[in-house]
Amino acid sequence: MAEFALTARTPLDGYDRTFGGVTLAEAAGLSLVSAAVPQGGDDAFAAALAEGFGASRPSTGEWVPGDRLGARILGMQPDQLFILFEAPDPDRAAEAVSAALGPAAYVTDQSDSWAMLRIAGRGVRAALERLCMLDLDDAAFPEGRVARTVMEHLAVIILRDGADGFLLMSPRSSARSFLHAVEQSVATVSG
Amino acid sequence: MLIDHPLLGPRDEAEFVILGDAGLIDRPDWQAEDAAQLFHDYLHLRDNPAGEHRELWFHEQGDRSWLVVTRNTLTHEIVRVELARDVAIARGRDR
Repeated sequence: MAEFALTARTPLDGYDRTFGGVTLAEAAGLSLVSAAVPQGGDDAFAAALAEGFGASRPSTGEWVPGDRLGARILGMQPDQLFILFEAPDPDRAAEAVSAALGPAAYVTDQSDSWAMLRIAGRGVRAALERLCMLDLDDAAFPEGRVARTVMEHLAVIILRDGADGFLLMSPRSSARSFLHAVEQSVATVSG
Repeated sequence: MLIDHPLLGPRDEAEFVILGDAGLIDRPDWQAEDAAQLFHDYLHLRDNPAGEHRELWFHEQGDRSWLVVTRNTLTHEIVRVELARDVAIARGRDR
Protein backbone atom coordinates (compact mmCIF):
# COMPACT_ATOMS: atom_id res chain seq x y z
CA MET A 1 0.00 0.00 0.00
CA ALA A 2 1.45 3.37 -1.01
CA GLU A 3 2.06 5.83 1.78
CA PHE A 4 0.92 8.81 -0.23
CA ALA A 5 -2.16 9.69 -2.24
CA LEU A 6 -2.26 11.61 -5.51
CA THR A 7 -4.71 14.46 -5.85
CA ALA A 8 -6.20 15.20 -9.27
CA ARG A 9 -5.70 18.77 -10.50
CA THR A 10 -7.76 20.47 -13.17
CA PRO A 11 -5.92 22.08 -16.15
CA LEU A 12 -6.37 25.64 -14.78
CA ASP A 13 -6.30 24.79 -11.05
CA GLY A 14 -9.82 26.08 -10.50
CA TYR A 15 -9.03 29.59 -11.77
CA ASP A 16 -11.80 32.08 -11.00
CA ARG A 17 -11.41 35.84 -11.24
CA THR A 18 -13.55 38.87 -11.93
CA PHE A 19 -12.32 41.91 -13.85
CA GLY A 20 -14.80 44.80 -13.77
CA GLY A 21 -17.88 43.40 -15.45
CA VAL A 22 -16.30 40.23 -16.77
CA THR A 23 -15.92 36.94 -14.92
CA LEU A 24 -13.34 34.45 -16.06
CA ALA A 25 -13.59 31.01 -14.49
CA GLU A 26 -12.46 27.51 -15.25
CA ALA A 27 -15.33 25.25 -16.25
CA ALA A 28 -14.50 22.07 -14.38
CA GLY A 29 -16.39 18.84 -14.00
CA LEU A 30 -17.39 18.56 -17.64
CA SER A 31 -16.66 15.56 -19.81
CA LEU A 32 -16.06 15.86 -23.54
CA VAL A 33 -16.47 12.94 -25.91
CA SER A 34 -16.14 13.09 -29.68
CA ALA A 35 -18.55 11.12 -31.81
CA ALA A 36 -17.60 10.37 -35.41
CA VAL A 37 -20.37 9.30 -37.75
CA PRO A 38 -19.50 6.18 -39.80
CA GLN A 39 -19.63 6.62 -43.57
CA GLY A 40 -23.21 6.20 -44.75
CA GLY A 41 -24.43 6.08 -41.14
CA ASP A 42 -26.21 9.45 -41.03
CA ASP A 43 -29.72 8.06 -40.60
CA ALA A 44 -28.67 5.61 -37.89
CA PHE A 45 -26.82 8.40 -36.09
CA ALA A 46 -29.81 10.75 -36.21
CA ALA A 47 -32.03 8.03 -34.77
CA ALA A 48 -29.50 7.21 -32.03
CA LEU A 49 -29.11 10.87 -31.08
CA ALA A 50 -32.89 11.30 -30.85
CA GLU A 51 -33.17 8.14 -28.74
CA GLY A 52 -30.11 8.67 -26.54
CA PHE A 53 -30.16 12.44 -26.01
CA GLY A 54 -33.56 13.57 -27.29
CA ALA A 55 -31.86 15.88 -29.76
CA SER A 56 -31.77 16.35 -33.49
CA ARG A 57 -28.34 16.52 -35.11
CA PRO A 58 -26.88 20.03 -35.12
CA SER A 59 -25.33 21.22 -38.35
CA THR A 60 -21.63 22.13 -38.37
CA GLY A 61 -21.22 25.33 -36.36
CA GLU A 62 -24.25 24.81 -34.13
CA TRP A 63 -24.87 23.17 -30.77
CA VAL A 64 -28.09 21.86 -29.30
CA PRO A 65 -28.98 20.79 -25.76
CA GLY A 66 -29.68 17.14 -24.99
CA ASP A 67 -32.34 15.95 -22.56
CA ARG A 68 -30.05 14.34 -20.00
CA LEU A 69 -26.73 14.62 -18.16
CA GLY A 70 -26.77 18.34 -18.96
CA ALA A 71 -25.53 17.37 -22.41
CA ARG A 72 -24.69 19.77 -25.19
CA ILE A 73 -24.15 18.32 -28.67
CA LEU A 74 -21.69 20.34 -30.74
CA GLY A 75 -21.51 20.15 -34.53
CA MET A 76 -17.75 20.39 -35.04
CA GLN A 77 -17.25 19.23 -38.62
CA PRO A 78 -19.34 17.46 -41.25
CA ASP A 79 -18.84 13.95 -39.82
CA GLN A 80 -17.85 14.71 -36.24
CA LEU A 81 -19.71 15.97 -33.20
CA PHE A 82 -18.58 16.63 -29.65
CA ILE A 83 -20.75 15.80 -26.67
CA LEU A 84 -20.10 17.98 -23.64
CA PHE A 85 -21.83 16.67 -20.54
CA GLU A 86 -21.71 15.85 -16.86
CA ALA A 87 -20.65 12.23 -16.78
CA PRO A 88 -21.90 10.23 -13.77
CA ASP A 89 -18.40 8.69 -13.65
CA PRO A 90 -15.82 10.93 -15.40
CA ASP A 91 -13.45 7.97 -15.81
CA ARG A 92 -16.05 6.27 -17.96
CA ALA A 93 -17.28 9.18 -20.07
CA ALA A 94 -16.85 7.43 -23.43
CA GLU A 95 -18.78 4.42 -22.15
CA ALA A 96 -21.64 6.71 -21.09
CA VAL A 97 -21.90 8.13 -24.64
CA SER A 98 -21.54 4.67 -26.16
CA ALA A 99 -24.39 3.47 -23.99
CA ALA A 100 -26.55 6.36 -25.22
CA LEU A 101 -25.67 6.14 -28.93
CA GLY A 102 -24.95 2.45 -29.42
CA PRO A 103 -22.95 1.49 -32.50
CA ALA A 104 -24.10 4.56 -34.48
CA ALA A 105 -20.95 6.54 -33.66
CA TYR A 106 -17.26 5.99 -32.99
CA VAL A 107 -16.58 7.67 -29.65
CA THR A 108 -13.37 8.94 -28.08
CA ASP A 109 -12.97 10.48 -24.63
CA GLN A 110 -11.33 13.90 -24.97
CA SER A 111 -12.11 15.24 -21.49
CA ASP A 112 -8.59 15.48 -20.12
CA SER A 113 -7.16 16.99 -23.31
CA TRP A 114 -8.91 20.32 -22.98
CA ALA A 115 -8.74 23.33 -20.70
CA MET A 116 -12.17 24.93 -20.42
CA LEU A 117 -12.77 28.53 -19.50
CA ARG A 118 -16.10 30.28 -19.14
CA ILE A 119 -16.11 34.00 -19.80
CA ALA A 120 -19.20 36.01 -19.01
CA GLY A 121 -20.37 39.49 -18.25
CA ARG A 122 -21.36 42.74 -19.87
CA GLY A 123 -17.98 43.51 -21.43
CA VAL A 124 -17.37 40.02 -22.74
CA ARG A 125 -17.47 40.84 -26.45
CA ALA A 126 -15.03 43.72 -26.05
CA ALA A 127 -12.67 41.36 -24.23
CA LEU A 128 -12.92 38.69 -26.89
CA GLU A 129 -12.75 40.88 -29.99
CA ARG A 130 -9.04 41.43 -29.33
CA LEU A 131 -8.40 37.70 -29.47
CA CYS A 132 -10.97 36.15 -31.74
CA MET A 133 -11.08 36.63 -35.50
CA LEU A 134 -14.72 35.56 -35.71
CA ASP A 135 -17.58 38.00 -35.81
CA LEU A 136 -19.23 37.50 -32.39
CA ASP A 137 -22.08 39.91 -33.05
CA ASP A 138 -25.54 38.71 -31.95
CA ALA A 139 -26.58 38.38 -35.58
CA ALA A 140 -23.52 36.44 -36.74
CA PHE A 141 -22.81 34.29 -33.69
CA PRO A 142 -25.94 34.03 -31.53
CA GLU A 143 -26.51 31.65 -28.64
CA GLY A 144 -26.45 28.11 -30.03
CA ARG A 145 -23.39 28.64 -32.22
CA VAL A 146 -20.01 26.94 -31.82
CA ALA A 147 -16.80 27.26 -33.84
CA ARG A 148 -13.29 25.97 -33.91
CA THR A 149 -10.83 28.79 -34.57
CA VAL A 150 -7.48 30.27 -33.52
CA MET A 151 -6.70 32.76 -30.75
CA GLU A 152 -3.12 33.94 -30.17
CA HIS A 153 -1.93 31.04 -32.38
CA LEU A 154 -3.69 28.52 -30.16
CA ALA A 155 -6.52 26.30 -31.32
CA VAL A 156 -9.71 27.26 -29.50
CA ILE A 157 -13.29 26.06 -29.63
CA ILE A 158 -15.69 28.87 -28.81
CA LEU A 159 -19.27 28.18 -27.86
CA ARG A 160 -21.89 30.82 -27.11
CA ASP A 161 -24.09 29.74 -24.20
CA GLY A 162 -25.75 33.00 -23.29
CA ALA A 163 -26.35 36.61 -24.31
CA ASP A 164 -23.17 37.60 -22.46
CA GLY A 165 -21.50 34.24 -22.01
CA PHE A 166 -19.08 32.05 -23.91
CA LEU A 167 -17.30 28.78 -23.19
CA LEU A 168 -13.74 28.53 -24.52
CA MET A 169 -11.85 25.25 -24.88
CA SER A 170 -8.19 24.96 -25.78
CA PRO A 171 -5.67 22.12 -25.64
CA ARG A 172 -4.56 21.32 -22.12
CA SER A 173 -0.87 21.23 -23.08
CA SER A 174 -0.92 25.00 -23.62
CA ALA A 175 -3.53 25.78 -20.94
CA ARG A 176 -1.43 28.38 -19.10
CA SER A 177 -0.58 30.30 -22.27
CA PHE A 178 -4.21 30.23 -23.27
CA LEU A 179 -5.32 31.53 -19.86
CA HIS A 180 -2.66 34.23 -20.01
CA ALA A 181 -3.86 35.42 -23.42
CA VAL A 182 -7.48 35.63 -22.35
CA GLU A 183 -6.63 37.17 -18.98
CA GLN A 184 -4.53 39.89 -20.61
CA SER A 185 -7.27 40.71 -23.06
CA VAL A 186 -9.92 40.95 -20.35
CA ALA A 187 -7.64 43.01 -18.10
CA THR A 188 -6.94 45.46 -20.94
CA VAL A 189 -10.57 46.32 -21.51
CA SER A 190 -11.67 46.34 -17.89
CA GLY A 191 -8.96 48.69 -16.67
CA MET B 1 -7.98 37.48 -47.26
CA LEU B 2 -11.31 35.94 -46.37
CA ILE B 3 -12.51 32.56 -47.61
CA ASP B 4 -16.28 32.25 -47.74
CA HIS B 5 -16.68 28.73 -46.37
CA PRO B 6 -19.80 27.03 -47.78
CA LEU B 7 -20.87 25.78 -44.33
CA LEU B 8 -19.49 28.38 -41.95
CA GLY B 9 -19.43 31.69 -43.79
CA PRO B 10 -16.42 34.01 -44.15
CA ARG B 11 -13.31 32.84 -42.29
CA ASP B 12 -9.86 34.36 -42.12
CA GLU B 13 -7.27 32.83 -44.40
CA ALA B 14 -5.02 32.23 -41.34
CA GLU B 15 -7.30 29.33 -40.34
CA PHE B 16 -6.52 27.49 -43.59
CA VAL B 17 -3.57 25.79 -45.26
CA ILE B 18 -3.21 25.42 -49.00
CA LEU B 19 -2.29 22.16 -50.70
CA GLY B 20 -2.20 23.22 -54.35
CA ASP B 21 -3.86 22.50 -57.67
CA ALA B 22 -7.35 20.99 -57.35
CA GLY B 23 -6.37 18.55 -60.10
CA LEU B 24 -4.97 16.40 -57.26
CA ILE B 25 -8.56 15.19 -56.74
CA ASP B 26 -8.31 13.26 -60.02
CA ARG B 27 -5.94 10.57 -58.84
CA PRO B 28 -5.17 8.15 -61.71
CA ASP B 29 -6.15 4.48 -61.71
CA TRP B 30 -3.13 2.63 -60.31
CA GLN B 31 -4.13 -0.51 -62.21
CA ALA B 32 -4.15 1.16 -65.65
CA GLU B 33 -1.74 -0.11 -68.32
CA ASP B 34 0.04 3.25 -68.44
CA ALA B 35 -0.19 3.94 -64.69
CA ALA B 36 3.47 5.00 -64.43
CA GLN B 37 2.99 7.67 -67.10
CA LEU B 38 -0.34 8.78 -65.61
CA PHE B 39 1.18 9.16 -62.14
CA HIS B 40 4.15 11.03 -63.59
CA ASP B 41 1.78 13.53 -65.17
CA TYR B 42 -0.40 13.65 -62.02
CA LEU B 43 2.56 14.42 -59.79
CA HIS B 44 4.66 16.71 -61.94
CA LEU B 45 2.65 18.46 -64.64
CA ARG B 46 0.66 21.52 -63.62
CA ASP B 47 -0.86 24.44 -65.42
CA ASN B 48 0.33 27.75 -64.03
CA PRO B 49 -2.43 30.13 -65.05
CA ALA B 50 -2.31 33.89 -64.70
CA GLY B 51 -5.94 34.28 -63.74
CA GLU B 52 -8.48 31.86 -62.27
CA HIS B 53 -6.97 28.86 -60.54
CA ARG B 54 -8.74 26.03 -58.74
CA GLU B 55 -6.93 25.08 -55.53
CA LEU B 56 -7.35 22.70 -52.61
CA TRP B 57 -7.45 24.36 -49.20
CA PHE B 58 -7.77 22.64 -45.81
CA HIS B 59 -9.65 24.29 -42.95
CA GLU B 60 -7.20 23.03 -40.36
CA GLN B 61 -8.08 25.50 -37.60
CA GLY B 62 -11.78 25.12 -38.24
CA ASP B 63 -14.06 22.32 -39.31
CA ARG B 64 -11.26 20.30 -40.96
CA SER B 65 -12.99 20.21 -44.32
CA TRP B 66 -11.20 20.27 -47.66
CA LEU B 67 -12.34 23.02 -50.01
CA VAL B 68 -11.91 23.75 -53.68
CA VAL B 69 -11.23 27.47 -53.86
CA THR B 70 -11.29 29.24 -57.22
CA ARG B 71 -8.90 32.16 -56.85
CA ASN B 72 -7.63 34.71 -59.33
CA THR B 73 -3.85 34.57 -59.11
CA LEU B 74 -3.52 38.12 -60.44
CA THR B 75 -5.93 39.84 -58.06
CA HIS B 76 -6.33 37.26 -55.24
CA GLU B 77 -10.06 37.62 -55.71
CA ILE B 78 -11.86 34.47 -54.57
CA VAL B 79 -14.54 33.68 -57.10
CA ARG B 80 -15.99 30.44 -55.76
CA VAL B 81 -15.64 28.11 -52.76
CA GLU B 82 -16.94 24.53 -52.81
CA LEU B 83 -16.60 21.53 -50.49
CA ALA B 84 -14.02 19.21 -52.06
CA ARG B 85 -16.25 16.29 -51.11
CA ASP B 86 -19.05 17.69 -53.31
CA VAL B 87 -16.60 18.26 -56.18
CA ALA B 88 -15.24 14.70 -55.89
CA ILE B 89 -18.72 13.16 -55.76
CA ALA B 90 -19.78 15.23 -58.79
CA ARG B 91 -16.78 13.74 -60.61
CA GLY B 92 -17.93 10.22 -59.92
CA ARG B 93 -16.01 9.39 -56.75
CA ASP B 94 -17.82 7.65 -53.90
CA ARG B 95 -16.67 10.17 -51.27
